[in-house]
Amino acid sequence: MRSRDGNNNLTLRLCSIIFLTSLALNASEYLISYRYVVKDAIIFNESLDISHAMKSCNGKPQDKLILENTSDSNLNKLISQNQEEFLEYIHKLGLHIEHKEQTINLQNTSTTILTLKTTCFKVDINDNFVIIAPLK
Amino acid sequence: MKFSILIAAFLSASSLFGIEPTNAQLQKALIKTTLAESETQKARTEIIKIREELAVEIANRDEEAAKRAEAEAEMEAQAQKILEKNSSMHISVIGQGVAPMNTSSPAQAYALAKRAAIADAYRAIAEKVKGVHIDGQDLIKNMMVKRSTIRTSVKAMVRNANIVETTFKEGLCEVEMEIIISHSDFAQ
Repeated sequence: MRSRDGNNNLTLRLCSIIFLTSLALNASEYLISYRYVVKDAIIFNESLDISHAMKSCNGKPQDKLILENTSDSNLNKLISQNQEEFLEYIHKLGLHIEHKEQTINLQNTSTTILTLKTTCFKVDINDNFVIIAPLK
Repeated sequence: MKFSILIAAFLSASSLFGIEPTNAQLQKALIKTTLAESETQKARTEIIKIREELAVEIANRDEEAAKRAEAEAEMEAQAQKILEKNSSMHISVIGQGVAPMNTSSPAQAYALAKRAAIADAYRAIAEKVKGVHIDGQDLIKNMMVKRSTIRTSVKAMVRNANIVETTFKEGLCEVEMEIIISHSDFAQ
């Protein structure tokens, strides 16, 4: 099909479609969970699990976190580079606390489990920065 | 006879002479009694004054006691603050954590101790906001406590808690954490 002004308009449309689809492809969804156990004031079994979402998630992105991107498209690496910042952000989002304490004959033992239940995050990876936001 | 008449005359004369000093004594006694009466009156007035003062003091003490009771009640009310609508509450706690023995570097020890301290602070916040389940059990055999057990548990979800200060001294990490909770956070 030729437009009235020639092929200029068509190429512009094609370019914009390609640009938008590339943006949409970059904005992927990840499932992230975090858990650690503190037993008698000593930390054990800290685990941060990240995986691509096999199904699309519902909800709107909220409470964005913007991390610097040093030309890497792997979220695992990006998070490990900014681990402290990301963990602080996860703490702010909200963690489930399960604490059990036992005192037998005046000897105390305690176990605290902090958990971020598997949550879907929308992740936009760009050249210079990464935007991470949970879908709620 | 003569002697008896003389004795009678002497006695009568002595009695005659003796009237005047008894009157004086009576006058003195009267003066004394009047003085004593005035003193008793003074004492009575003083007693009345003292009683009045005591009554005022008692009233003051009662007022002070009432004020103290009110202040204590206010303190208790502040300690057990109830979160009302359109109001917020500030909670501050300190969490403690210890670094594990087998750390590869002091930095790792600090990071792990801090994580444990954060968990402890979260637990403290949860305890303050939501409360603690407590279960106790004592086993007594032959009038002796064989085993005493206390179990406590907390389950909660905490979000938007802020770390105010972190200190790390001699392997112990202390994290001061605060949270501002409002009524709308609990609204369903």
